[in-house]
Amino acid sequence: MKAPLDTGGIRAAARLALAAGLVVAGAGAALAHATEGGLVLLLPTDFYTAAGASAVALTVVLMAVLPEPVLARIFAPLLLLRLPRTRAPEITSMLVALVFLSLVWTGLSGSRDPMENPLSLGIWTGFWIIIVTVQGVAFDIWRWVNPWAGPVSMLRGLGLRPVLHLPVRLGYGPAIVTFLAFAAFLMADPAPADPGRLAVFGGVYWLVNLLAALIFGPRWLRRGEGITLLMRSYARMSLVARRGGRLTLGLNGWQLLRGRVPRGGWAVFVLVILACGSFDGVNETFWWLGVLGVNPLEFPGRSAVVWQNLAGLAAANALLLGIFAGTVKAGLMLNRSALPLAEAVRLFAPTILPIALGYHIAHYYTAFLVEGQYLWAMLEEVAGNSHQGHGHGDHITTGFFNTTETMRRIWLTQAAAVVVGHVIAVMLAHAVALKVFGGARRALLSQAPLALFMIGYTFFGLWLLASPRGV
Amino acid sequence: MTTRTTKQTGTTRRGALKTLAAGAAATSLPLWARYAEAQTSEPIRVGFQMHRTGIGAAYGRWYGRTTEAAARLINEAGGINGRPLEIVVEDDGTDPKRGAEVVEKFATQHNCDVGYGTLFSHVVAGSAPRAGELKLPYFVVSEGHHVASGALNRYTVQPGITDVKSQVQAMAPFVAANLGKKVTMIFPDYAFGHDHRDFFSAAIEAQGGEVVAKLAIPPTETSFTKYFPKIPRETEVIYHVMVGPAVLTFVKEMGEFFGPSRPEIFGFIDSLEAVDISSPGLEFLEGTYFWEGMPRYAQADQSPYDKFYREQVGVDDKGASLSDAKDVSTFAHMFGCWETLYVIKAGMEAAGYKGPQDRQALIEAVEAMTEMPHSNEHPQGAKVFNGKTHQVFGPQYISKLEGGMLKVQHTTSIEEGFYPDEVDYTKMSF
Repeated sequence: MKAPLDTGGIRAAARLALAAGLVVAGAGAALAHATEGGLVLLLPTDFYTAAGASAVALTVVLMAVLPEPVLARIFAPLLLLRLPRTRAPEITSMLVALVFLSLVWTGLSGSRDPMENPLSLGIWTGFWIIIVTVQGVAFDIWRWVNPWAGPVSMLRGLGLRPVLHLPVRLGYGPAIVTFLAFAAFLMADPAPADPGRLAVFGGVYWLVNLLAALIFGPRWLRRGEGITLLMRSYARMSLVARRGGRLTLGLNGWQLLRGRVPRGGWAVFVLVILACGSFDGVNETFWWLGVLGVNPLEFPGRSAVVWQNLAGLAAANALLLGIFAGTVKAGLMLNRSALPLAEAVRLFAPTILPIALGYHIAHYYTAFLVEGQYLWAMLEEVAGNSHQGHGHGDHITTGFFNTTETMRRIWLTQAAAVVVGHVIAVMLAHAVALKVFGGARRALLSQAPLALFMIGYTFFGLWLLASPRGV
Repeated sequence: MTTRTTKQTGTTRRGALKTLAAGAAATSLPLWARYAEAQTSEPIRVGFQMHRTGIGAAYGRWYGRTTEAAARLINEAGGINGRPLEIVVEDDGTDPKRGAEVVEKFATQHNCDVGYGTLFSHVVAGSAPRAGELKLPYFVVSEGHHVASGALNRYTVQPGITDVKSQVQAMAPFVAANLGKKVTMIFPDYAFGHDHRDFFSAAIEAQGGEVVAKLAIPPTETSFTKYFPKIPRETEVIYHVMVGPAVLTFVKEMGEFFGPSRPEIFGFIDSLEAVDISSPGLEFLEGTYFWEGMPRYAQADQSPYDKFYREQVGVDDKGASLSDAKDVSTFAHMFGCWETLYVIKAGMEAAGYKGPQDRQALIEAVEAMTEMPHSNEHPQGAKVFNGKTHQVFGPQYISKLEGGMLKVQHTTSIEEGFYPDEVDYTKMSF
């Protein structure tokens, strides 16, 4: 038979654009975040989404009717045992810095496979998925594993002194810039999981910030280094914290009601966290690929959408800042409050931290399920317990993406993270409003637009989870 | 940047850990020392261009497992020309641009002898020109017709898996003779779907059949109910090649639309590769037919080669991982990796391959291949390689889903997949 048509190159194509990994594609992309795939589209996600948003709406109503002290009690912390003062974190930080540098070295010289290379697994799975989650949910682990604090402290101990003053007017600007650089690498780089690229980016990022911390002093780590500021922000979300020398336990978010009101730049930073986290999900949807004019069934790869993703990231940040400020402004107007807008944004921005954390957990949960196995296998091997099977891959499974029941459980777990994040955010926002505006009625009025925003954001988050993805 | 991979794929992580240990000299552990084995002879390096991340990741994982198993066996049997086989993995992100970069790394940084393993057609198309420029033998496992169409170059070959044109053509006689002659095609509205439309339309007409309707579905569609009423009443067979996350929705809605009285249905297993067919919502597929590159379920007349292959890759009789019955493999395609590695081995042995200076001789040795018998090295079936078009031809399987299991109804002959040559690569200069 004569060829009816030539199908060179791309055209013969993607028969393998296949049900493509798309059906199950969670399969282990350090960043390809799992696509819940076809089975999610079979789940009654519309119903679940409505239920989730209703839960958040119900919380808003509850806030209106519950007596004030109830909320205070919900967030009241329990003082537990007294904690000794210790310099141990400086030592562990130093060790983590050494481990980090050796990981960078393996990134340059070790296996090229991101699921095998300790750097890719360590950074994207160990740090970005697991440690960030522990930080927000449980306790301030960053204090122990921050790879700058120890070296900076040691070098200062050797007599190095800051040579420049970090101008106060810069505020948290440098941290916003460095965090956006990290986010841009995560979302727009063609291959952030590639061990070589990650080693270069991670190594340079570490070194630049170390130098800056030496030049400007440790305050650089508080106002200039984005990841540390992210972790300090999430530390305010954690269950336990050190307060007055004692281990203190409270519902996630309790610290936000007790700490100082963050300065302006920090509030903006919190919004940047949420904006980046939200876009890091949108950028995989059929919707976004449609905006870009890319056929999701024939996705041309991340290197084809670098600038588009950078622009999207910038737009997401601008959009969220605008919407949030507008929402807070509307609340002030409804309330006829004289509170300046900037002040109100500073007060309310931290209340969206639980939403950002919920997104983070939901978004990376599927990646965690797959890549966590690779990380575990690597740790087992370090411990000398490697599996002696046909090969390392034999014990890694993505079987849970292949059945409706397991996918339902996975999806509902993700949805729960999103919904719980919003519920806590609503409660926190109400608690802040009570504190600022006094009476429940005024608090409620001021908060109505923000509550609507949060209900809307719940819809958005669950829509994101239920959307078909092409990346 | 140095290349630190190890002799067998199974030990790449160890290689990384070895380096990690070296990097963290202060905390180096004697445990890792055991991996620092001396190598007696320089390995043959096969650069494995893996879809580790991106939309091909599910395939990449199984291509990796298959490659690992074959490489292990080859090494256990003495390697290639007495030298160990080393698989050097690079992730291309299922991204054509990165694919070209990976090929370049194989040639210039990792000192690979050949490149191998690329699956997605657009990545092959993006990478093959670079392989040609660098004169790196490039063994793809993609099914695309791009190799045999003449679009690529002397250094690119596809000796381990048949191309889609051959597959579609070989199916047509069975469809016309057993399922019906009036066919409605449902396909995604872009190049991939168009290829099926055009290849199959011609093939079914050659069998005296006709395509009575062609329903092109927009790629971003996630609900299909509005398309089914467009299926003509006279339709005897539906030929569907839907892909993407919405494919399960498509199948379910088609089932709901037709109920018990439906035409015959024929599809490509690609739609459901790595999907557990017993998933709720897919009951409707019972009694429908699929093309399979290699039967996912072990058949009653299973060959000893199929049995051996499953054992070595670690796959059970249902095509799922031995360690998790729900972890369904990409069984219809991944044999291509196994067979291709054995072709590389045979080619290197025939060419007396010693190093990069023998790359031309390797290509010529592969071009000279013709018949490949059904064997442990070719568990999918016997093959015939066409040296002029750089494309292999082999049997295709048509299976029917019965009792939740795909049972082979018909195996096409190799010849049914033949079509006139569209290129003669042997006439191109190196």
